[in-house]
Amino acid sequence: MNCAEFQRELPEFMEEGGNAASQAHLNDCRDCSGLVSSLEAIIREAKELQTSEEPSPRVWNSIEIMLRQEKLIREPQTSGHRSILPSLRQHWGALAWLVPTAAALLVGVGILLYQQRPDNARRAAVAKPAGPAAGANIQTADVSDEQLLQEVSARAPMMRAAYESNLRDVNNYIRDAQDSVNADPNDEEAQQALMDAYGQKSMIYEMALDRSLP
Amino acid sequence: MQRSQYLIELGAVVIVAIATIAVAETKKEYRFEVGPKSKVSIVNQFGSVSVKPSTGNFVSVTATTYSDKVEVDQNQSGNRVDVQSHLLSGANAENSRVDYEVLVPADASVNLESATGPLRAERLHGDVEAEGANAAVDVKDMSGGHVHVKTMAGPITLTNIRDGHVEIDSVSGDVTLTSVTGPLVRVSSTSGRIQYNGDFGYAGEYRFNSHSGNIEATIPDDASVDVTAQSVRGLVQNDVPLQPKVHTSFLVKEGSSFAGTINKAASSVWLRTFSGKIHLKRR
Repeated sequence: MNCAEFQRELPEFMEEGGNAASQAHLNDCRDCSGLVSSLEAIIREAKELQTSEEPSPRVWNSIEIMLRQEKLIREPQTSGHRSILPSLRQHWGALAWLVPTAAALLVGVGILLYQQRPDNARRAAVAKPAGPAAGANIQTADVSDEQLLQEVSARAPMMRAAYESNLRDVNNYIRDAQDSVNADPNDEEAQQALMDAYGQKSMIYEMALDRSLP
Repeated sequence: MQRSQYLIELGAVVIVAIATIAVAETKKEYRFEVGPKSKVSIVNQFGSVSVKPSTGNFVSVTATTYSDKVEVDQNQSGNRVDVQSHLLSGANAENSRVDYEVLVPADASVNLESATGPLRAERLHGDVEAEGANAAVDVKDMSGGHVHVKTMAGPITLTNIRDGHVEIDSVSGDVTLTSVTGPLVRVSSTSGRIQYNGDFGYAGEYRFNSHSGNIEATIPDDASVDVTAQSVRGLVQNDVPLQPKVHTSFLVKEGSSFAGTINKAASSVWLRTFSGKIHLKRR
């Protein structure tokens, strides 16, 4: 099993512990074991927040949109729940919001790790749009970000530059915070910084998708 | 003769222009009777929202529109008033601007949203939530209520806020707090500058953090604080005579962190940045 395969199975691994192949890869791969440690730390921190208020439905919507963009969840094939989120609520009760939150964090961290691989970074660079201004200043190859920017461009072109610039800043924040966590997984302030960074990115997505645009 | 004809034509153009503007700009007023501690929400896409206290138990909303591509929807459910700009077909950021002037009872809680802003609120005692991607947010003279502000790039200015939780999130907007005190004052930023000017009150918790934005706090000599400051890659500078702390959660390193107390250390002040600069100044 390679890193990409492991990261594809990461949601199951985090929930159920994974199979022997996953465990074997985890024992051998420093990057993936660091990723798992970080996620476990984030989930631990999140559990301590369980007494706080549940996020608004808009947060759920933003997370769901992110998950769909990453193809981690799909449209239901039969008439059932419109979203996986209500079923999570039924099974996890008050802690249900931890699952998508951890998944969203997981997606973000996974994307970052994926991009940090030299071969993927080269591929992503090649895949960047070649239009005159489109994406010219984008230093991140984050697919979700690009989709968001396309959405912003389509609806409110004048706001694209601001979103582009702020996403770039936040991605740098996430990268630095992730590096700090990797350097010392027990550093609580680094973990907090990583959560803050993801919080800022989540805020940008929420603003773009929920209310800033016509 | 030619000159008078020119003047007549010019006058006609001016009259037509004024008439066009007058037709395009429409002002409507809505009034709602409410009880104590009402909840008022103004959701605007593009344009300003300004909220001030009213003189009675009513909410007054004056909405100015500039085209027929946007209309104002309003609804009252008991003590809750919701007003929002409703964009119609063909609307865009230029023609769908609405400016709101709102009066609410001083104890009302308000929720203000606009992508472009500006958003303003003053002299209220209820909770204030303000949110806008590029909106400048200006909140002043509030007491007793919580103040929550979120922007992406819009600058945030809070002045004379006390006795409530203050929570600010901005990605790149500069945050300026003047005489802001309360049990919890939290500012989280990525690249915006955070400036605080005040005494940090009494028994409050103040947490300012950024990624690359500078953090600057200016305090008087009689401030009573327990302060820790750390910049991972940037510099820290302290002009305040602090009593050094024996125990800190991090290794104090000259130039990149400091920790100490002044007077009775009533309030806790936590300043963190990754690559920005931290400067604690004396007033």
